[in-house]
Amino acid sequence: MIASGRIGTDVPRVDGLEKVTGAAQYTADLKFPRLLHVAVVRSPHPHARVLDVRTEKALRMPGVRAVVSGRDFPLHTGIYLKDQTVFATDRVRFVGDPVAAVAAETPEAALEAAALVAVDYEPLPPIFDVEEGIADGAPLVHPDLGSYEVVPWIRPKSGTNVCNHLKIRKGDYASALAGSWRVFENVFRVPQVQHVPMEPHVSVARVDLAGKVEVHTSAQSPFTVRHLLAACFGLSHGDVRVHVPYVGGGFGGKAGINLEPIAVALAMRCRGRWVRFMVDRHEEFYATVVRQGLTATLVTGVDRSGKVQAQKMHYLWNCGAYGGYGVNIVRSAGYTCGGAYEFPNVEGDSIGVYTNRPVGSAYRGFGMQEIHWALEQQMDKVALEIGMDPVEFRLLNALGAGKATVTGQVLDEHAGRVDLCIRSVADEIGMDPGRQKTPYRGKGIACAVKAPAMPNDAASSVVMKFAEDATLEILIAGIDYGQGLMTVVAQFAAEALDIPVEMVRVRGCPDTDLSPYDWQTVASRQTWATGNAVLRGAEEIRRKLCDTAGEALGVPASELILRGGAVVHEATGRSLPLARLVMGYQFPDGHAIGGPVASATSYLPEGLLFLDPETSQSAKPVAKWTFGAQAVEISVDPETGQVTVERIAACYDVGRVVNPGLIRGQTYGGIVQGLGTGMMEELLVDTKTGRAMNASLMDYKIPSTEDVPAEMVVDFVETPQKDGPMGARGIGEHTMIPTPAAIANALYDACGIRISEMPITAEKVWRALKEKERAASEAGVAPAVPASVTA
Amino acid sequence: MPSDLDFLSPTSVDEAIALKAVPGTAWLLGGTDLLPQMRAGRKAPGRLVDLKRIPGLHEIREVADGGLSIGAAVPLADVEVHPDVLDRFPLLAECAKTVGAWPLRQRATLAGNLCNASPAADTAVALLALEAEVEVASTVGRRTIPIREFFLGPGLSALEPGELVTAVVLPGASAGFRGSYLRLSRRKGMDLATVGVLVGKSNGTLPARWRVALAAVAPTPLRLRAVEELLEAKGAAAASEAAEAARLACRPITDLRGSAEYRREMVGVLVRRGALSLG
Ligand SMILES: Cc1cc2nc3c(=O)[nH]c(=O)nc-3n(C[C@H](O)[C@H](O)[C@H](O)COP(=O)(O)OP(=O)(O)OC[C@H]3O[C@@H](n4cnc5c(N)ncnc54)[C@H](O)[C@@H]3O)c2cc1C
Repeated sequence: MIASGRIGTDVPRVDGLEKVTGAAQYTADLKFPRLLHVAVVRSPHPHARVLDVRTEKALRMPGVRAVVSGRDFPLHTGIYLKDQTVFATDRVRFVGDPVAAVAAETPEAALEAAALVAVDYEPLPPIFDVEEGIADGAPLVHPDLGSYEVVPWIRPKSGTNVCNHLKIRKGDYASALAGSWRVFENVFRVPQVQHVPMEPHVSVARVDLAGKVEVHTSAQSPFTVRHLLAACFGLSHGDVRVHVPYVGGGFGGKAGINLEPIAVALAMRCRGRWVRFMVDRHEEFYATVVRQGLTATLVTGVDRSGKVQAQKMHYLWNCGAYGGYGVNIVRSAGYTCGGAYEFPNVEGDSIGVYTNRPVGSAYRGFGMQEIHWALEQQMDKVALEIGMDPVEFRLLNALGAGKATVTGQVLDEHAGRVDLCIRSVADEIGMDPGRQKTPYRGKGIACAVKAPAMPNDAASSVVMKFAEDATLEILIAGIDYGQGLMTVVAQFAAEALDIPVEMVRVRGCPDTDLSPYDWQTVASRQTWATGNAVLRGAEEIRRKLCDTAGEALGVPASELILRGGAVVHEATGRSLPLARLVMGYQFPDGHAIGGPVASATSYLPEGLLFLDPETSQSAKPVAKWTFGAQAVEISVDPETGQVTVERIAACYDVGRVVNPGLIRGQTYGGIVQGLGTGMMEELLVDTKTGRAMNASLMDYKIPSTEDVPAEMVVDFVETPQKDGPMGARGIGEHTMIPTPAAIANALYDACGIRISEMPITAEKVWRALKEKERAASEAGVAPAVPASVTA
Repeated sequence: MPSDLDFLSPTSVDEAIALKAVPGTAWLLGGTDLLPQMRAGRKAPGRLVDLKRIPGLHEIREVADGGLSIGAAVPLADVEVHPDVLDRFPLLAECAKTVGAWPLRQRATLAGNLCNASPAADTAVALLALEAEVEVASTVGRRTIPIREFFLGPGLSALEPGELVTAVVLPGASAGFRGSYLRLSRRKGMDLATVGVLVGKSNGTLPARWRVALAAVAPTPLRLRAVEELLEAKGAAAASEAAEAARLACRPITDLRGSAEYRREMVGVLVRRGALSLG
């Protein structure tokens, strides 16, 4: 049935013209009559009791329309764990925690009034590190943790700072460890980083005189925003309407709910007025959300053949002040704790810990880059210590058909081939073990795997309908913030119905009043889930068109096919163009049949099973896995510590390449983002004051164009995903997962040093080289390669 | 940033000077230092006097001794590609092209980089090495400040209140120095220097004259005359000795871009490399 030609080809972005001409509207571009502006009163303390909030002076300021604080809105929100109120009520938990907010006629009046809100605090001892957070007797960030509402598959520990703990117990770890030939233990760390989207968060809200709430927001998940707003304000979903215009980057930071409750809270106090809450770059850094920090302790026991027999993974996540979303990263990192490898005996613990740092949340990769930073360096270290080639060691231990993941899920032959990805990138970079080595040039490899981390019933749906000229309109509620969702949706529909892509219009800026339901644009799930819904919709449309055409042509519908924008009866050569069918067919005598052709279809992952609460064993905990690998060649300046990524190769088993240009774009972008977090990014918090020290683009660096590696070679394996649309599986996040670890492994190959804490900065490399030189001279041996080389 | 800011665009230097008499007035060139500082709340002028409409401040012209005068309003993007600069004062072009990124340099000026008096000002090292002179005007008249007297501390210069920089003059005697500006930063594109080292050597004169100047490793940009003398006496063979002297002479601090220790070591590395490259 399915024709070919539009899948696997470089169909240009359907939103490209709008974006390059500036026609595309983002939330901050929208014009609203008599707009009110917002300023937020934020906590200057990392941890304190809020004794009193006095807003009278602020309210009396000219131009001020509303001032709200914690006592006005006591309900909790949070996507998985409801641990946050709109404004702090009795306690603030990080520097930046909202305490009150002002809506005023001008931004200046709002700021001035915010400064007049008087707050009395009683400072409490803060905690910043996970180790402090789990220590006995640690100050509690959430003393009421036990009373919070939580989904059944997240397990907070009342009376502690642990907001979730997922345990993996597979096989018999203790005996396997005891029986191991050699055992290795290492600790790795990842700091908090920020998403730095080009467009900072912004939400505009109005509550009309009849009480209906309307929001325009830069978000990844209009329906989840609606759902959580309704819960947080005690409203019917029917009275909340969320629009998402084009979004200028999210990377997870706009998943779930963010600024919307503050805008809505203010809008409730000035009915009929639009209220816009727009953070500036400084607030974006410390007061929206960040990626969680990680401390990972790994123990690996191998046998003489190099097969890992015992593997312990202890992940401590620094969740920051709230874990509403982050708790699911803890879970995801738990059931993926073994990465792309088959470990027969596993003790895994993934533990989320509250601290008084900025709020951890979703970030492209959802914990995977962090755990791969640890795992992939560990695998490299173990291989080298036992004298095995790191590529061979990975292949020997890799997951694949017939092998079981840490949850005991046995993969089948459709699951994707990490072995092929490893070989592809190793060949491209030239990692053969006998290779000639050049001092201070090195090669490294790292694997990657990720499954969508979502509730088992996370669904996507689409509405497809025709205009009179047979233009096909597809309503989706997935967000295209650059990854190309709108384009692949058009490709799938055009392919399935054999119509030109130009005949398809994807309505990609959702409005919850009009668009069909979609859970969220996260988890690399849109091409797959919305793609599946589109194929189902196309099938329904095809059936309706053929039914009408069959009656019109007087042939059985089953003998008709869609070809080139027409319904065709091949046996007789008769056909009808779609334009004569989409609004109903009219016979020569005037009577008409059929009617406007449309469909509404959805996709929900099938057969997913909860994890066992004690061991996390499950035959199908997730919908799919996407495997991949990256290898990199770097050079190191031994005197300055500067590392240059010369070449990088990436390969993923994506099931099916739907659009080569878009997937290459995703991969290049992921590599560069991986390079950023791997080599330069870290949100620093001053542990004396709790303040973010580098919350600006001057002090917090992400890669610029000049930092992009000179050569990026991208390859794909296509093992079709059984339940993927035309075989496709997710790829959006995976592209940044292995990059830092591959660079770290290349650094060891280049000069024998390891950086266990991300990022790999020049100064850290320089220090490690000096340390190595010192250690070597103390031991009385000359370093293998001279540490001081003249340029 | 206040929204009720006054903005004035005089067309002569005298007018611009007169307007500054009102308290809370700041002069504006490219604004690439001033506006971020205002946004961050570190400066709060009530009115801005834009100097870019003043015709005389826009030219790069030759002066009597064979040097060049660069008007205060000339953007760095014009300085770095100017044929006379490239031909006779290439060290200035080397430094200018490291400031921010190309779009920024369409607005950012040489005079602005000086007046801001940042220890990390990239063009300052070239101006120190080339013994530039800063021409200033005020209600009391005009004077010339030798560059070695210009920088007093972070954000502090020898400009008196009300003194306007009209041009920066590169003396003819400094023409012909070649060399390189070696600069480390956290990323390759658009970042302030963690350490900047300029090493230059005269072309054709015997004995050769050397220039060594440093950015971001002391409260002001530094010129190291003693290190230059060492190289003048012994040539590039003394690169390591020069590196050691420079390492000891700098006074770096630890900040978000790097530690004092790393910076000091890097001064040594870069001075040695710069000297060897001119050997
Ligand atoms: C993104 C970015 C990146 C940057 N990167 C670098 C970098 O890599 N290296 C670097 O050195 N700098 C950098 N800077 C700083 C800045 O761009 C430079 O210092 C620039 O040269 C300043 O010139 P301007 O014309 O913009 O000065 P302005 O901001 O207009 O003025 C600077 C100061 O001088 C005063 N002033 C202006 N004109 C006069 C005058 N005629 N007489 C007396 N005082 C005057 C102003 O009131 C102000 O205080 C960067 C800035 C930004 C925003």
